[in-house]
Amino acid sequence: MLKLINISKKLGNFALNDINIDIPDGEYYVLLGRSGSGKTQLLELIAGLNDPDSGEIWLDNENVTKKKIQERNVGLVFQDYAVFPNMTVFGNIAYSLHSRKTGKKVISGKVIQVAEEMNIAHLLNRYTQNLSCGELQRVALARTLIKSPRLLLLDEPMASIDASLKDDIKRTLRHLNRKGLTIVHVTHDYREALSLCNRVGVIHNGHIIQEGPPSVVFSRPVNKFVARYAGIKNFFRVKFFSEAGRFKAKCDGNLVFAISEDSYPSEGLMILRSDGIKLHRSEPLQDFDNCFKGIVTEIIPSEYGMEIIVNAGEVFYVDISVSDFKLLQISELSEVWITFPPESGIALPGSV
Amino acid sequence: MVKYSPFNWIILILSSLVLLFILAPLAGMLLDTTGKEFFETVKDKEVQQSIWLTLWISFAATFLFAIGSVPLAWLLARKTFPLKNIVQGIIDLPIVLPHTAAGIAILGFISRDGFLGKTADLLGLTLINNPAGIAMAMAFVSLPFLINSARDGFAAVPERLEKAALTLGAGRSRVFFTISLPLAWRSIITGFIMMFARGMSEFGAVVIVAYHPMIAPVLIYERFSSFGLKYARPASVLFIIVALAVFIILRFISIRKKEIHISPDAETY
Repeated sequence: MLKLINISKKLGNFALNDINIDIPDGEYYVLLGRSGSGKTQLLELIAGLNDPDSGEIWLDNENVTKKKIQERNVGLVFQDYAVFPNMTVFGNIAYSLHSRKTGKKVISGKVIQVAEEMNIAHLLNRYTQNLSCGELQRVALARTLIKSPRLLLLDEPMASIDASLKDDIKRTLRHLNRKGLTIVHVTHDYREALSLCNRVGVIHNGHIIQEGPPSVVFSRPVNKFVARYAGIKNFFRVKFFSEAGRFKAKCDGNLVFAISEDSYPSEGLMILRSDGIKLHRSEPLQDFDNCFKGIVTEIIPSEYGMEIIVNAGEVFYVDISVSDFKLLQISELSEVWITFPPESGIALPGSV
Repeated sequence: MVKYSPFNWIILILSSLVLLFILAPLAGMLLDTTGKEFFETVKDKEVQQSIWLTLWISFAATFLFAIGSVPLAWLLARKTFPLKNIVQGIIDLPIVLPHTAAGIAILGFISRDGFLGKTADLLGLTLINNPAGIAMAMAFVSLPFLINSARDGFAAVPERLEKAALTLGAGRSRVFFTISLPLAWRSIITGFIMMFARGMSEFGAVVIVAYHPMIAPVLIYERFSSFGLKYARPASVLFIIVALAVFIILRFISIRKKEIHISPDAETY
């Protein structure tokens, strides 16, 4: 459906380098990266707002690299929606139809239909200044969808909406994708990727550094950048070694972790997902491969419960649910034990 | 609640002095003009004609030159091109030139030996001592006000709105007329008013190009040099009142136009 072949583009002192992406029809593809990683530029290249220095863009088996924006029929929803402030919601949604010289009655019928689908029919006569972010986003989506684009590009669609509205938008996007619309969604939040996409590409400094189904990318990141994008906070600089047929990793702080990796560099990083660590109030009776005693240094409420920071010779970030938190009765300076299975530790090359 | 600290007092006194400096001569002129003198001047056909002439020539000059200046302002706001800074400098040049020198330059341009003068001559027109010549002199010294204000207005329109319109299938000219122009409208109107007001009050450049037909600033000067301060004063007062009224009306119209808030550019990457 969409094919990017060796796309490169220099923009000031930043460059997109040799980007290759192949997205089949109907896929929901998330491009994950920090701001400054080149995500938006890539979307603008696909939409035709900029031309690549080299490489080709193919849409539906047609080379569109040199085609005008207007002829590509690609929909782009901007990060802050770029809703026209000098027009009503109706004017915004109808904008692309006027470009196509459609009759007034047809325009009005189409606008009402798409506005109803997006739950904004009641806003049609309003100007856009006093609309909420969620409403603005629906206007921007409606405005783009009305021209039936063959590909929908979304630039950080959830960046400025309330958490309560995110589920709504996610539902809408999933629904659109299920109806067959191919979507490329750009974000810095791995949770969006997890909950929406079939495939994720991690972009860093203008390169795609890992690509695959989100479950694979986030559980087996290829390097520390991907691990960071995947929300991993536990990074340990380690020396890997083998002892009595078991693989181990020794930290600078002298803790030794048992890991299940069978191929590893001699020196590098070990990462650990925050939700892969268990917390105990007393020394566990069961024998764990990795069990360390520590002190709670900080407790931070997080989106999904509590983040407990434990100093056990190394600093560990542990995510637990609110109910577990209440059950464990932890407070700052509490003495705790942390355990994790060897397969939770992932060995990576590189340094912290 | 403002606290009256010494700092605030100093600021207040200095600000008042500056305001007084502007208002005192005007108030003095107003108070020195008797009602009788003033109403005689209002009825004076010559004064009426010159004020009317000043207003319409300045308006026409602003309107006609705006047709070319607004696209130029857009170009300066949106595009990068070689020697852009020099182009910007050229636009600001009339502000720093002595206006009599500007008048001489325009005169050379429109006299029968000049390029434009020769062309007009072929069509049987004389630009010297003609409203067209006056309009050019007015426009020459006041164009920067319109161009700079419109340029700032276009620059304040987030580029991504134009990009969004392009992705929605609009051509470049439709984007300009439906997005860029309406969103920069306030600044364009402000620039228009500034150019109109500046053109209307121009004396130096106009007097060299056309002593006749007499625009108000020239008429005031002529009354002063021929008859003295007492005779120039009522005409000055009348012209100031008319200019002020027009200025206030135009401002009012432009402020009443629906305010459009434009959020600053979002992070682009």
